[in-house]
Amino acid sequence: MYSCNPKKSDESASSFKVPVEYYKLKNGLKVALSQDKTAPTVAVAVYYNIGFRIEPKDRTGFAHLFEHMMFQGSQNLGKKEFIKLVQSNGGILNGSTRFDFTNYFEVMPAHKLETALWAEGDRMKGLAITQDNLTNQQDVVKNEVKVNVLNQPYGGFPWLDMPQYANENWFNAHNFYGDLKDLDSAKLEDVSKFFKTYYSPNNASIAVVGDFEIKDAKKWIEQYFGEIPKADLPAKPDISEPKQEKEKRFTKEDKLAEKPAIAFAYKMPERNSPEYYAMGLIDQMLVQGQDSKLFLALVQSKGYAGSVNGGINYLGNMYNYSGPMVWMADLIYDANVSPDSILSQVDKAVAELQTNITQEDLNLAVVKIRSKLYDDLGGSFGIGRADMLACFALFDDDPSRINNIEEEFKKVTPELIQKTAQEYLRSTNRTIIIVDPKAAKQ
Amino acid sequence: MKKNILSLILALAIVAQAFAQKQTPPAGGTPKDFKLPAKAGKELANGLHSSLVQYGALPKVDVQLIIKTGNMHCAANEVWLADLTCQLMKEGTTSMNFKAISKKVAAMGGEISIFNGMSNVNISGSVLSEFAPELIKVIGDIVINPAFPASEIERLKSDLKRQLTVQKSVPQSQASEKFFQTIYKDHPYGRLYPTEEMINSYTLDKVKEFYTKNFGAKRSVIYVAGKFDDKAVAQAIDETFGKWIAGPEVNFPAVTPVRTNEIAVIDRKDAPQTTVMLGTPTITPKDKDVVALQVTNSLLGGSFGSRITSNIREDKGYTYSPFSTIQDRRGASVWYEQADVTSKDTGNSLQEIAKEIRKLQNEAPSKEELEGIQRYMAGTFVLQNSNPGGIINQLNFLDLHGLEDSYLTDRVKNIYAVTPEKVSQMTKDHFKYEDMTLVLVGDKKLLEKQIKQHEAAKKMK
Repeated sequence: MYSCNPKKSDESASSFKVPVEYYKLKNGLKVALSQDKTAPTVAVAVYYNIGFRIEPKDRTGFAHLFEHMMFQGSQNLGKKEFIKLVQSNGGILNGSTRFDFTNYFEVMPAHKLETALWAEGDRMKGLAITQDNLTNQQDVVKNEVKVNVLNQPYGGFPWLDMPQYANENWFNAHNFYGDLKDLDSAKLEDVSKFFKTYYSPNNASIAVVGDFEIKDAKKWIEQYFGEIPKADLPAKPDISEPKQEKEKRFTKEDKLAEKPAIAFAYKMPERNSPEYYAMGLIDQMLVQGQDSKLFLALVQSKGYAGSVNGGINYLGNMYNYSGPMVWMADLIYDANVSPDSILSQVDKAVAELQTNITQEDLNLAVVKIRSKLYDDLGGSFGIGRADMLACFALFDDDPSRINNIEEEFKKVTPELIQKTAQEYLRSTNRTIIIVDPKAAKQ
Repeated sequence: MKKNILSLILALAIVAQAFAQKQTPPAGGTPKDFKLPAKAGKELANGLHSSLVQYGALPKVDVQLIIKTGNMHCAANEVWLADLTCQLMKEGTTSMNFKAISKKVAAMGGEISIFNGMSNVNISGSVLSEFAPELIKVIGDIVINPAFPASEIERLKSDLKRQLTVQKSVPQSQASEKFFQTIYKDHPYGRLYPTEEMINSYTLDKVKEFYTKNFGAKRSVIYVAGKFDDKAVAQAIDETFGKWIAGPEVNFPAVTPVRTNEIAVIDRKDAPQTTVMLGTPTITPKDKDVVALQVTNSLLGGSFGSRITSNIREDKGYTYSPFSTIQDRRGASVWYEQADVTSKDTGNSLQEIAKEIRKLQNEAPSKEELEGIQRYMAGTFVLQNSNPGGIINQLNFLDLHGLEDSYLTDRVKNIYAVTPEKVSQMTKDHFKYEDMTLVLVGDKKLLEKQIKQHEAAKKMK
């Protein structure tokens, strides 16, 4: 257990620590509790250690389809009743499927914590899904893919595309939204098998953040989750990626786009290594904010684009994944600019990181990342903090890491930045996707 | 084969459940007190208002300068001139260039955003608490002493043209443009996009003229929310903004939205979905019935559990992300339902939407269903006021629409005062399917049949 008041530290004018209470139920469910009495609300987040990365090979998109099934009915809550229960108690809810987990969360008025815990416990106990429910959600998910990918210019670019082009291992490199025919072939038995395999308390974590009493939360979590039996978990597949030694370049035709776009990605160092934290700061220096090297070069100085996106983990942030990952950036530009002139600006910025970084540059990056970290820890009605706690419980068995992150960034030296940039921002560690726009001008 | 076994087990489970009583969800405890965070503030001699709200434990602060201008002040041949003005304003002041400002604000843990909307220009930043006074000074410098460097204007025009091309290739943007044009006709509210030729015609002089005509203290409010030093912030506001010119009076162009059941089709060849926008002008936030309208919207289509969403998503699977909403502009509001539906089910979707509207007109909702929606709205109201950005949004909403504080302070009470009969009456009075504007962006060759279903739905009783 780690506990500390949100007081000013000696080192900097603003600093922020969060209270963390961590334990496990007998069935293996990991529990992280963190009070925040700023508003009379409470966030409940249940994370299952099953992301789309390791979904069945003949069922692309199944982890995400399954996420939808978790809203289709459980023992005591029929279809639509879960949503109704949360909303009619004054709350909001959602779920999402990511590389390494599937999550479900509610933000409720503080006095409705027990209601939310009961409901999450109910669907962890078991589902009651009919073929009609499955067919309905297959249609909904196919419509989701259409609205987000198939009927959009730049649909799936680069968030869905890049992992498929950059990675070699199927687990990291398949279409995780799912081929429509794979989505169609999902069966009720797949749903049942998937639930039994992955949705057990010993493969999950729960985080509660907000205005509640620790003893109440503990009592209710024991009451509503304590009796759920643990399951035998399958062996983890090998999700490692081979070291990349050669630059890869691809062109993707886009029938709906009128302007070219480019994305470039570099394989990340191993999570939680010193180089990983250095990459977090490199991300700040390269692409976060209007003072960043790529913004100043590509937008401000060259005028190739109006903005440049970038970061670690486009489906989340640098804290909420656990397998192989890329650092990536992308921009939309005009046809009269060549991709190589964009890449030469990237190379120039990277060369600066490899050879010429001062302590002052580093301090600026640390301030930016701290400020962002505080938003994650305190903002979004507790969802940001719950996300980090649940992930650190699930991946590291140590949610109190949440209070060490700032220190880890502060340990990074200019030398480590240079070394990391040399090792990981090699062009031979890079994958490039260029969108070739094929839409007729309207 | 295995599937059959599983189905059988499920069927048995369902029968068994019919006998075994289901557990009732625990009701929870007693609600905790919620009070709107207190605000302080004043008016400077030049007419600028300040509004300061201490909130939360996080060592961060949001500062937003909101000026009541934007595309509503652009002429018909000058759409997005306000955008260009804002972009050029961001390029630096008479004493600091873009790079210097960016670096300075980055060192505070934030960055400057300039957002240009229809009726508001918003210059803002979110930084570590101790930098609040410094950020106020930078924002003041940007708006009071813009350099408007001629060297940057062509680049920014290229950016706007690129942005225009990209946005106009997105089906939802195509639908919005047509929909609001149909309802607002020649009013600026109906002009979402310029042409490339318009952007080409914008000059430095035009930008400067737009700035002089539309920016000044009288049209501005500075909001500070989060954790900050009251005294230092108040002093920074006085020193920075006290010297700004009073500038033009607040001026919202008069507007009368058009109620029309026109149908517009935008062809998108081979599109796998149709983007549907269906809606009608409605009452504004100043109307005594506005909360009843909002409750009706939440129940009908404005929440995940709402009737239309339940029907066309959870029952029929026609769409992934349907929603209805009320877009409030100063002086005019529009209700609409939007959904991207499987092409072949476009007509079916419209018929189901019509059915849900009819049903609510003909029959008041149950007390239980309405109470669920009321608790949902009361709950989300707390969330909207539980972060600095949300608090500023609420306060700016009052200011933009000329509303009293009671709009917020009585809101929860007003939500619970709406009766089932009132919801049904609101639907009769304000949700007339047969009078609604319809925009469809999709594969035209498939839509003829679907439009017939829409015509049939209009006659539905």
